[in-house]
Amino acid sequence: MSKYIVKRIGLAIVTIFVISIITFFAMNAIPGGPFDSEKATTPEVRAVLEKRYNLDKPLVEQYVIYMKNVLHGDWGVSLKTGRDIGKTLFSSFAVSAKLGGMALLISVIFGVVLGSIAALMRNKWPDRLIVFFTTLMTAMPSFVLATFLLYFFCIKLGWVQVWSSQSHNYLLPVISLSLYPMAYITRLTKTSMLDVLGQDYVRTARAKGVSQRKVIFKHALRNALIPVVTYIGPEIAFIITGSMVVENIFTIGGLGEKFVSCISNRDYTMIMATTLFLATIMVFANLLTDIAYKLIDPRISLE
Amino acid sequence: MKKKLVSAMLVAAMAVSMLAGCGSSASSSDSTGTSANSSSDAKEDVASTEGLASTSDGTTLRINLASEPDKLDPALNSSVDGAALAANSFVGLFVFDENSEVQPALCDSYTVSEDGLTYVFTLKDGLKWSDGSDLTAADFEYSWKRAANPETAADYSYLFDVFATADDGLINVKADGNTLTATLNAPCPYFLQLCAFPAFMPVPQAAVEAANADGTNPGAWCQEAGFVSNGAFTCTEWKHNESMVYTKNPYYYDADNVKLEKLEYMLSADDTAIFSAYNAGDLDFIDTVPTDEVQSVINNDDFYVVDQLGNYYLQFNVNADMFDGMSVEDAATLRHALGILIDRDYIVTNIGQTGQHVATAFVPEEMSDGNGGVFRENEYDYPDKDSNGYFSAEYDFEAAKAEAQELLESIGYEFDDQGMLSADTPISLEFLLNEGSGNQAIAEAIQSDWSSIGIECNIKTEEWDTFINDRKAGAFSIARGGWVADYSDPINMLEIFTSDSGNNDTQFGKDPSNTAAPDWTKYDELINQIRTTTDLEGRVAMMHEAEDMLMDTWAVVPLYYYNDLYMCKTNVSGVYSDVFGTKHFQYATIN
Repeated sequence: MSKYIVKRIGLAIVTIFVISIITFFAMNAIPGGPFDSEKATTPEVRAVLEKRYNLDKPLVEQYVIYMKNVLHGDWGVSLKTGRDIGKTLFSSFAVSAKLGGMALLISVIFGVVLGSIAALMRNKWPDRLIVFFTTLMTAMPSFVLATFLLYFFCIKLGWVQVWSSQSHNYLLPVISLSLYPMAYITRLTKTSMLDVLGQDYVRTARAKGVSQRKVIFKHALRNALIPVVTYIGPEIAFIITGSMVVENIFTIGGLGEKFVSCISNRDYTMIMATTLFLATIMVFANLLTDIAYKLIDPRISLE
Repeated sequence: MKKKLVSAMLVAAMAVSMLAGCGSSASSSDSTGTSANSSSDAKEDVASTEGLASTSDGTTLRINLASEPDKLDPALNSSVDGAALAANSFVGLFVFDENSEVQPALCDSYTVSEDGLTYVFTLKDGLKWSDGSDLTAADFEYSWKRAANPETAADYSYLFDVFATADDGLINVKADGNTLTATLNAPCPYFLQLCAFPAFMPVPQAAVEAANADGTNPGAWCQEAGFVSNGAFTCTEWKHNESMVYTKNPYYYDADNVKLEKLEYMLSADDTAIFSAYNAGDLDFIDTVPTDEVQSVINNDDFYVVDQLGNYYLQFNVNADMFDGMSVEDAATLRHALGILIDRDYIVTNIGQTGQHVATAFVPEEMSDGNGGVFRENEYDYPDKDSNGYFSAEYDFEAAKAEAQELLESIGYEFDDQGMLSADTPISLEFLLNEGSGNQAIAEAIQSDWSSIGIECNIKTEEWDTFINDRKAGAFSIARGGWVADYSDPINMLEIFTSDSGNNDTQFGKDPSNTAAPDWTKYDELINQIRTTTDLEGRVAMMHEAEDMLMDTWAVVPLYYYNDLYMCKTNVSGVYSDVFGTKHFQYATIN
C-alpha cells in the first residue's frame, strides 16, 4: 500500500509539472496581454511593467523563473491588481471550500439516503417521487436554479438579503451548489444498490435469515457505495474550488470566479496559480478515491 | 394522479425546509457579532419595501458601482469605477461639482502667470490626512512626481507631459510651505481639470514607500482596508469580491458638510444580482440596469440619465485590404457611402434606449473649447454654417440610400434597376466587435442597413482582450470604437488619431507607402501645434481644422454620444455624476 502511494505521488508530481508547461505556453499563445486596455498605455510604461514581471524575457526563461519562484513558495503578484497571489488564492479558497464542503456534506448524506430509499422501495411512490426530483435537478443548470432561489427567497419572500456588507448568508448558495451532486448521488446509489441487492451473496444472507437491516447496512450499502466514491473524488475537487455562476449571483468572494476572470484579464500569474492549484487538488482527490476503494472493498488490489 | 402530485409537492417542500435548516445554522455560526443585529433589521426593511425610497438607516449609503476594483491607488487607477472610489476617498486641489465644473477643494487660491505657464497654488490651512498627520504642498509635489515617474508605471503618466522639465530631469513642480508652483511647457487650458483628476490626487508618502521597499509594487500600500487617505471617506473594511465599507473621515477638509457616516459597496458585476439587490432594498444606488429591464424603469423617479463626454463610433482601418488599389479620395468616398448608410436614429431609439444623442461629429456636444466657450457652438461652420455637424440633421434613410448609391457609382460601382449593387462589383466587408449584446445589436442594425443596397457584411465577434489586440494591430477592416474623455478639451478626442498614438486603431499614417491611406503628416503637425500654441483662440480654430481633416477621411463614423444611467432611491439627494462618469457621494444625504 505505502509503495503504491509513493508511486502515485511521484506520478502526481509529474502530472502537475506537465500541466504547468501546457498552461504556461498555451496562455502565452492566446492573443492579448495583461497590460492591454481600451486606452493604450504608453510604450515607456509598458516597458517598465514588462521588465518588472519578466515578460520581456524569452518564454522558456520566463517559465523557468516562474517555476523556481513557485517551488520556493512565491506565487508572485497578480499582474492586474499587484496583490499577492498566495494570499488571494488561499483566502478565496477558504471561502469556496467552506461553501463547497457544506454543499458536499449535504449532497452525500441526502443522496445516499434518498438513493437507498428509492432502491428499497422500487416502483412505489417514494421512488417515483425521488426519480422525478433527481431528474429535474440534474437537468437544471445551476444559474437557473441560483437565479430562481434569489428571486423566490430574496425578492418574493424577502427572507434573505440579496447582499449585505455585514453578514453573508450561505443558505442559498449552498442549496444551489448541492442540489445537482445530491441528485446525481441519489441516482448512482439507487442503481448500484439495486444491482447489489440482486447479487448472490445478498440472497444467501437473506436465505440464512440475516435481518433486513443487517443485509442493507453490512452487505449491500457498503458495496453499493463504490460508484458513489468514484464520483465523489473528483467532485470534491470541483466543489471546493468554487463555482463562478453561484459566486457571481450571490456575490461571494470565492475562487470559482477567479478561474474565469484571470483568463479574460490575461493575468498570467493568476492563471498559473489557479490551474496548478486545481490540478493539485484534483490529482490528490483521485488518489484518495483509490485509497478509499481499498478501504471499502478489500478485494480491490492497489498494487 | 392528483394525489400523487400533492404528495410530491409536500415532500419537496419538506426537503427544501430541511436543507434550509442545515444551511442557515452553518451560516449563522460563521457570522460575526455585529452581523446578527443588522441582518434582522434588514429583514424587516425588506418586508416594508415597496416604493422607490431607501430603507437605509439614514447614515449609510449602500452602493454598487462594479466588481472588485483593480487598484485603489488614485495614481494607478485607470477604470471609471476606480475613479469614483478615488473621488470619494481622496481629494486633490480641485474637484468637479454637479455641473461638471471645476471648483477649488484643497486649493485656497491660485494665480496663473501672464504667459499661462506658471501656476502658483496656495493650499488651505490645517489640511490633514485621515491619520491626523499634516498634509502640505510637499505631499502634492511628491505625488505628482511619483505619478509622472515611468517606474511607477501609471497608465495616466502621460497626463504629466504638460509639465516643463526641471533641471533634475523631473517634472517642474515645487512645494514651499503652503504653496505649490507648477511650471508647464505650454499653456494648458485644462490644467485645473487635471488637478481634479484622480492621478493628481495626493498619496501619503510614508505609507507608499513603506509598503514598496523594493520598488516593484507601487500600489501595495492600498491593497487592503485601513490605508491612509484624505477624502471624505476612508476605506475601513474590504472583503475582496464581496463588499467594501468606507467610513467618514473626520479630518476631511469639508467634513462639516459630509452627512453620511458610511458608504457600503457591493462588489459585483452581475446585473441580475445587482438589480435584485436594489429592488429588494439592499442597495440605494446602482450604476447598471439589465438591458431588458431598462424600459420597465426608464420613467421611474429613481432612474437617472446623465450625458457623458464620449462617443460610440465605427472605425475603418485605412490600410485594410478593402481599399487596395484605390486612390485616397475613392477610399474616402467608399467610407462616406457606408457611413451615411447607417440609420443612427434607429440605433439610438431601439438599441441605446436611454435617450442618447445621435453624434454629428467626433468631438462631443458639451465639450468646452479651451477658451471659455463650448467647442460645438463657437464659429462652427463646417461643412457649412447651417449644418449641425458632419451629418444632415434630418435623417432620411431612403435619401441616404440614393446618396450612397450615387457616391458608389461615382467610384465605379454598378447598380441594377432595383438599386441593388451589381454582382460584377460586389462589396463584402467584415465588422469586428467585442462580445456584448448591445454591440451585437448595433452591428446587426448596421449590417441590415448596408444589405439594403446589396452590401454584404459579416460580423466577427471576439473576446475583449483579443479584440483590442487585433484592433490595435490593424487586423480588421471595420471595428467598433468607443472613447470617453478624461478632461473636457477637444484635444483629448483628437490626439488619439495621431500617427504615433497608441490608440490610433484606424492606422492613420502607419503605412506611408499605402496609396489608399490619407497623408497624415499634416494632422500630426497640427496636433503638435495645438499642444504647444500660446494663442488660445487660434487653438480653437486649429482644433476645428483637425476635426475637419479627421471627418473628411470618413474613417471614423461617430454613431452616438454616450450617456450614463444610474438608479438612486428617491429620498437620497446630493449624489451626482460628472460628465466623465465619476459618481460623487461625499455630499449625499438620506431623508
